[in-house]
Amino acid sequence: MELNRIKNLLELYFEGETSLEQEAVLQNYFTSDEVAPELESYKPVFAAFAQVQQDGFTRKIELPQDKPIRYWIPIAASILLCIGLFLTFNQKQESDHDLGTYKDPEVAALKTKQALFMMGNFVNESTGNLNKLEAFEETTNQILK
Amino acid sequence: MNQKEFLAVVNPIQDRLYRLARRLLVSEDEAQDATQEVLIKLWSYRKKIKKLKSVEAFAVTMTKNHCYDKLKLKSSSNLQLVHSNYEDTHYNTVRQTEAQDSVDWVLKLMNELPEQQRLILHMRDIEQYSNTEIAQELDLNETAVRVSLSRARKTIREELLKKHNYGIK
Repeated sequence: MELNRIKNLLELYFEGETSLEQEAVLQNYFTSDEVAPELESYKPVFAAFAQVQQDGFTRKIELPQDKPIRYWIPIAASILLCIGLFLTFNQKQESDHDLGTYKDPEVAALKTKQALFMMGNFVNESTGNLNKLEAFEETTNQILK
Repeated sequence: MNQKEFLAVVNPIQDRLYRLARRLLVSEDEAQDATQEVLIKLWSYRKKIKKLKSVEAFAVTMTKNHCYDKLKLKSSSNLQLVHSNYEDTHYNTVRQTEAQDSVDWVLKLMNELPEQQRLILHMRDIEQYSNTEIAQELDLNETAVRVSLSRARKTIREELLKKHNYGIK
């Protein structure tokens, strides 16, 4: 009875009509030790499938390790840039406030006078130094005579 | 996805990929090479892997294409390598050797099938994919898969019986 069932399945098998479960039954039968002598010649087919199923990938794979992406570099750079810009603009604003202006016109006039006097003094001092140039003139006159 | 997670995903399928590569490329070394290359390629796609419905189907397609590329390269460089170095393990008695011989013969017959039939037979009888899965994978309809499968199995049966009855009939 069992033999007939196997024979039937085998017929279906070669027509490609068996289900995976039925094929498992065939596989089991033909890899067992109780194969009927008349079906003996089919044994190698299923033995071959069984053998190949044992094959496997034996190599150890080494996966290429990619470099960790440093997310913090651009972030740090932009923060530094922001700080830099902030500082420079802040400094400018401070210097804008202090132009040395006076609110009281009298004080302003006084200060201007002072400044002008100071300038005048400097000019006078420097013109005093010009007297030394006369020495040149004297010598040139002596030579030209 | 880090290495550990990736290996956990890949571990259950890498043997299948190897067997597929082995079926298509025949040579054991080349199949190992191919599997390794496919796994590394898969690793570079690891971000996309998470979104895939089936990593296995994706990997199988990749392996198949990779092997076809290799075969094309081989035929264009006019190099024909035939490997039949099936390992001979601890089979001592004559009877076992005979059995192993027939098994090797079947494997040889399998590798002589047309490419499509070979692939279908492999996917069905060795990896136990359903016809629907095979049809999807190979972009065929299920009837075509069934017909190819039947043809492949019958070819093997005929060749095997021919050999079995050699000198008798």
